[in-house]
Amino acid sequence: MLISFRNVSRFYSDWPALENIELTVALGEFLVLSGPSGAGKTTLFRLIWMGDLPTSGVVEVSGYRSDRIRTGDLPSLRRKLGIVFQDFRLLSDRTVFDNVALPLQVAGASPRAVRKRVFSLLAEMELNHRRLSYPHELSGGEQQRVAIARAMVAHPVILLADEPTGNLDPDVSKRVIELLLEINRAGTTVILATHDPKQIPAGTARYLYLDRGNLVNPTSWHGYGPL
Amino acid sequence: MIHLLKSSLFEGMLNIREKLGSFLVTLLMVSLSFMVFDIFLVVSWNVGAVLSDEQENVGIELFLREDVSEVEAVNLADLISAMEGVRSVYYVSPLEAEAVFRADLPEQADLLMLLGPQFHLPSSIQISLHPDYRTSEKVGGLARTVSGMDGVEDVVYGHEYLPGLTSAVDMLGKLVVLAGLVLAISLSLVVANTVRLAVAKRALTVKIMSIVGAPGWFVRMPFLGEGLVTGIAGSAGSLLLTGIISGILSSSIPHNFLPGKWILLVLLLGASAGAAGSWMGMRSGIPKPRS
Repeated sequence: MLISFRNVSRFYSDWPALENIELTVALGEFLVLSGPSGAGKTTLFRLIWMGDLPTSGVVEVSGYRSDRIRTGDLPSLRRKLGIVFQDFRLLSDRTVFDNVALPLQVAGASPRAVRKRVFSLLAEMELNHRRLSYPHELSGGEQQRVAIARAMVAHPVILLADEPTGNLDPDVSKRVIELLLEINRAGTTVILATHDPKQIPAGTARYLYLDRGNLVNPTSWHGYGPL
Repeated sequence: MIHLLKSSLFEGMLNIREKLGSFLVTLLMVSLSFMVFDIFLVVSWNVGAVLSDEQENVGIELFLREDVSEVEAVNLADLISAMEGVRSVYYVSPLEAEAVFRADLPEQADLLMLLGPQFHLPSSIQISLHPDYRTSEKVGGLARTVSGMDGVEDVVYGHEYLPGLTSAVDMLGKLVVLAGLVLAISLSLVVANTVRLAVAKRALTVKIMSIVGAPGWFVRMPFLGEGLVTGIAGSAGSLLLTGIISGILSSSIPHNFLPGKWILLVLLLGASAGAAGSWMGMRSGIPKPRS
């Protein structure tokens, strides 16, 4: 399994953000994680990129165990992940090119390799004409595509998308979802946290519902959402 | 690795470019603070040079009794030259003493004539000491030992001014170290605050770098570089300003500027204060990879 949660709980003071989570994600899966605000979706993501550790239980991601990982191992784990946020988190003082190039630069790629990969990815994302623009000069949809490009530039094994369409209008959201599906079809495991699982076409993903830190039995769903 | 270093350097330049104004203000603050220290060093260096010259002349002079023959005096000098702390001894015969007197005090040469041909200045032994033995305590100890030797009439070793000279040299050395320490601490705090502000301003960049897998040193190096540049450039700027002031004043107040070793020391102090400040600033500013 690429990702496994074994009886994982995360408490902040006495408040349970996640409780007794049992979850496995296989290579190449598209997992849709749904639930209301504060249900624990973001906490679950943080546990995957090990920005946080569980209070109890073990999270294992691509061979890295939360109970054994050292701070020095975090960069190599995170280079296997791509993360997309609802608020894009693009660096405002850098161009589109520099934002997308960042994960390659911090991994020590040569300038030539960086240019080749970034140009090719920007072309795929139809953003080549925007490569010298700054984030504030882009539309919301373009910013999110840049964020996805940044997440994908280093060929991650897993793409975590935390409410990537939360700030976008329906048409742009649809395009972003299509992009995530394409990425998944190309072999990358995608975990998408969303308020609106209906955006994902039926039969293309596995659905999970989080409610107040607990995974709700998927059998209580009617395909696209909770009863 | 080279590409990674280049990228880190680029990040450092972005840091400085983004807040060039506040960086220059910090640089000026560091330069001016260092300038006070540099001026203190120049004064200390020159006072220290005077004191060292005085200390260089510290020695013991034994005046021998009239009945001590030249052979006995030379034997005594040989005995003393073998003692610990003694660098060299020199026997001054009555005739040589008289010649020296006439050369040094020509206006009082008549005095010798008045005292008559039967009068002779006493012979003496001049003892030069190893540098470590030029302190008040050690000179005093040696003077007490030789004063008890057979044939010795009197011992002169500057016991009036030597304790003051020794403690002045000691005090000056301690003051320089103390001033350097205080300055290094205060400048570290200034740099720490600047770096903390820089980290706060670039919080998102730091966070994103950590999330996309940047090694810890890659995130920290630009801030460390900023502290180092601030410390070195600030201390170099202060040396330049102090050098200009020193040049202007040299005709009215003759003095020497700092020697190369001290200049290097000031630059090193600047670099250390900058690096320590960066470390303090990053410690409280950069979030842990898990936060």
